[in-house]
Amino acid sequence: MKWNSIRTKVLAALLACLVVGVAGILMLMRYSFERNAQVLATESVNGAERLFSILEAREISKMTAVSDVLLTNPQIRDAFAAKDRERLSELTASLYPQLKTEGITNWMFHTPEPNMVVFLRLHNPSKFGDALNRFLDKEVSRTHALVSGNELAKAGFAVRMIRPFHDSKGEVTGYIEYGEELGQFIHAMKSQTGDDYGLLLSKKYVDREFWADSAAAWKRRDNWNDNPSFVVADKTSDSESIISFDGELAGVPASGMVLERYQKGDAIFVRGLFPIQDAAGTTVGAMFVVRDISSFYLAMRRTQTILIVTLVAVLAIGILLVLSLLTGLVFRRLERIIVVATRVVGGDYETEIRVSSDDEVGQFERLFEQFRRVFVDVLAHVPELQEKR
Amino acid sequence: MSQLYDLKLQIEEKIKTSGLDPKDVKGKLGLRSGMLLALIHPTTPDNPEAIAKLKQAVKEVMHVSL
Repeated sequence: MKWNSIRTKVLAALLACLVVGVAGILMLMRYSFERNAQVLATESVNGAERLFSILEAREISKMTAVSDVLLTNPQIRDAFAAKDRERLSELTASLYPQLKTEGITNWMFHTPEPNMVVFLRLHNPSKFGDALNRFLDKEVSRTHALVSGNELAKAGFAVRMIRPFHDSKGEVTGYIEYGEELGQFIHAMKSQTGDDYGLLLSKKYVDREFWADSAAAWKRRDNWNDNPSFVVADKTSDSESIISFDGELAGVPASGMVLERYQKGDAIFVRGLFPIQDAAGTTVGAMFVVRDISSFYLAMRRTQTILIVTLVAVLAIGILLVLSLLTGLVFRRLERIIVVATRVVGGDYETEIRVSSDDEVGQFERLFEQFRRVFVDVLAHVPELQEKR
Repeated sequence: MSQLYDLKLQIEEKIKTSGLDPKDVKGKLGLRSGMLLALIHPTTPDNPEAIAKLKQAVKEVMHVSL
């Protein structure tokens, strides 16, 4: 192969195109993958947030429906109106275990204003008479209508519903409250999506002593000192890395945020979190979500491989096509002209240059054939050659 | 007989014994040396430069030294 031949130069240019094309496709694919992974990660966080809201709404509906049934029960209504704790407990205690299996962990009756203390705590019957003074209590007292939302209290972070209880005359005799621990939501979410979740609470809103007592009561490790600004209420994975976060929970945007994409073994994961607000609109915690995007990643890789193989094959075929066209249309015909010209100089005055086409090379063939004839004619008049011819 | 003509005869002999295409080889020699072998005859005057060019052409085309 001659390095200064047109064929070599054309081949080099085509190979350069091939390399640039493949590199360009690789870069595009990488950009596309990064973008899609980011979209998927964002969608994972948003999806988890939506699912959380749906579960929250569903549980509030469930608690509302249960309270509707109780409100229509005259025995319960009258017992509460008469503030007969024993009778009320007798009528409702048997229901609590059943409701607990359905996720309702807190059930309370509150006395009306001005005291508004806990009259009966079905989940802890021996404890009563305390005033909670929480946001939802104040709201229901202010509106005398059903209010609901998340609330972080000593008993934990729960979605709660509280509504007025009326006697037979329609007078408010107190309030009924139901609550469900938010920690159990993440297990329901995991069973639905397969993703992992972690519920964090800002230490600012959690009582240190209560947290330690609660850990002891539930025989859990006291994880207060694991992180500087938050505690992990619950998580669906044993891995601690899923809840790794250095920032302030209050700074997490309402739409959530993607934290990172990482690899563990052969699997690729994305990790993000979204804030959880209480009924007053304060960000008191956040939920981590970890999604395995390996299948998406593998599909992208497969597409990438197919694209690259296809591109290389198409460009290789293109290179072969261009080279064979150049060989047939230009190089071979030029070589034929060179052979004939050489032979004319060597004394072959009979071999002609055949004009094979009317293209650019054909015009050159015609010109060279005319030149050959003139040359042969000139030689024919050279005296030294005349006797030989 | 000039040296140039003698060189031409030697070339023709070499071509004959080599089995190469005479027209092709002579053409290449002519193009490389800048002279037509057919125009070299016994009375062609010697020219050291032409002889050197022709010998160099023989070396390049036929890979032999004369």
